[in-house]
Amino acid sequence: MNEHSGTISIADKAAATPRPVAVRVRGLSDKGIAWLFVGPTIVLLLAINIFPLIWTIYLSFTNYAANRSGEVKNVGTRNYERILNDADIWAAMQATAHFVIWTIAIETVLGFALAYLIDKKFRGHGFWTTLLLLPMMLSPAVVGNFWKFLYEPQIGLFNYAISYLTGIDRTSFQMLGEVSLAPWAIVIVDVWMWTPYVMLICLAGLRSIPDYIYEAAEVDRASPWRQFVSITLPMSMPFIMLAVLFRGIENFKMFDLINLLTSGGPGSTTEVASITLKRAAFESWRTGYSSAFAIILFVAVFGLANIYVKALNKVKQR
Amino acid sequence: MAEVALINATKRFGDVAAIGDVSLTVADGEFVVLLGPTGAGKTTTLRVIAGLETLDEGAVRIGGREVSKEAPALRDVAFVFQQYSLYPHLSVYDNMAFPLRSPTRRVPEDEIRRSITEIARMLHIDHKLQNKATRLSGGEMQRVAIGRALVRHPSIYLMDEPLSSLDAKLRQELRLELKRIQRDLGATMLYVTHDQVEAMTMASRIGVLKQGKLVQLGTPREIYEDPAETYVATRLGQPRINLMPRRLFPSLPTPSSAETIGVRTEHLKIDRHHQGAARVARIEHLGDQRYLHLSLEDHSIVTLAGHDTDLDVGDSVALQLERPLFFDRDGMRVRP
Repeated sequence: MNEHSGTISIADKAAATPRPVAVRVRGLSDKGIAWLFVGPTIVLLLAINIFPLIWTIYLSFTNYAANRSGEVKNVGTRNYERILNDADIWAAMQATAHFVIWTIAIETVLGFALAYLIDKKFRGHGFWTTLLLLPMMLSPAVVGNFWKFLYEPQIGLFNYAISYLTGIDRTSFQMLGEVSLAPWAIVIVDVWMWTPYVMLICLAGLRSIPDYIYEAAEVDRASPWRQFVSITLPMSMPFIMLAVLFRGIENFKMFDLINLLTSGGPGSTTEVASITLKRAAFESWRTGYSSAFAIILFVAVFGLANIYVKALNKVKQR
Repeated sequence: MAEVALINATKRFGDVAAIGDVSLTVADGEFVVLLGPTGAGKTTTLRVIAGLETLDEGAVRIGGREVSKEAPALRDVAFVFQQYSLYPHLSVYDNMAFPLRSPTRRVPEDEIRRSITEIARMLHIDHKLQNKATRLSGGEMQRVAIGRALVRHPSIYLMDEPLSSLDAKLRQELRLELKRIQRDLGATMLYVTHDQVEAMTMASRIGVLKQGKLVQLGTPREIYEDPAETYVATRLGQPRINLMPRRLFPSLPTPSSAETIGVRTEHLKIDRHHQGAARVARIEHLGDQRYLHLSLEDHSIVTLAGHDTDLDVGDSVALQLERPLFFDRDGMRVRP
């Protein structure tokens, strides 16, 4: 621009004070340029995140079924009322709670313990770290499939190991087929796969504690236990809580692993919320009903995560 | 408090000797400052005494007792780190109480309260006792760290550049305060710094370290006035001592092996009534005094000038050396 008015005096002025970007780009204001950059992302976000969410909210108040054509009727809050009075839904929520709470508890304790050991920097700790991280890098589909084989009563390594260690007949129990065992079978697989992830985050926490704090404590005559309680644990607590948050959200919506292992069975003992949701949406084709359930799950996770993040920030600020 | 001694101490990291064959005795109640540039082995010396590093050769004795193999906790030393090594989730009070609450010490809680209140007042952090350690400014954090050492009565206080992260005003204030506290408590203290003002004002004796060796140990005055080599001479004095080749002063009587003549700025007098070989190159005004930068052949020399000087850039002057120091080819002192 300004090709024709480029006299010497104007050029001098321009050199002295750089003209704003907006003037140089076809009269756009700085704000306009900012929008130009952010715009595509916002449009994409609206199209694949916000719009489906709003559409789902709308559907949750209708009797819409995706496999039927016909009139879509507004049914008010009837879907929500049904869900909250549905015993199956509450059973699914219990199965989810069992899965989430136990996986988090075990993964956190194991993950932190492993991180604590790895942090001691023994010989070859890099090799062991890599080895421990392997499960986490596999696809859930692969993990689900080969754990199915491991749990085979006849040929599975898991049953063989249990019977070798305890003397129980290896064909006398089925990890995936028994009501009392199946909920634990999926917990075991998730722990196997995701403990390394928790370990990695905890390791980052432990590595962030500077050596000189331990040295100060040593000079101050703090025993190893006191150092652990008053330095290691509180200083890595934000990291541990972050790991719990990530695993909590992930496992609340866990679908692939469980669908592959048990598909919610036997009966509906391992039918967690996401599997119930999928069945309502794509097997019974109750689209409106399942939309309402999805919204309820969304609000629950969103609310819990929010409360949790507040707590996390409090711990961080200490 | 107790006497602390290093005897022929050597500590290597890989092939590098961080300290080599260092022998140093800090007498009971003495304030010894270790001076030297980065990497000279100052911090390693402290860490070896504290037991945070184990010696490869030699021994550490605290109060006459050989402690070389003992863990830090058993050596009864207090250590102030260069970084603020506070326990971040504890309050200032709990930080300072931390060493006293060790089960091996069994200090009653009211005794703890009494000594913390006293030390906190000394360090001007008594109004911050209930604050979280992380909610403090850098200067406050370091005072808490110093306070955490002072609440104890160890054999020796080891301080690793405790004031280096503070601003100039606070540094000056705490310098005086620390010296006063040390004198009041009769504390044995080994203090590391690269700040020559701290060394000069606080120390009973200064030890100068050079690449892991203790090259000179003496009172600040001895180190300043009677340095054993050019390395020591250049550690102290602001502006630095002038080191000039002997040939610039052919008429000066010198020992035969002398190669370098060292003259401190205050001992370099200007005779402006005589034309001389030196020319005024630059004058720096520092308010209370002036630095006069002279050039003599291709050497630049710094000296002090009073307010009343009417010298100007370009004037040529004659120089008079008072109390010159002579050094040989290797920088070692040669005495006439």
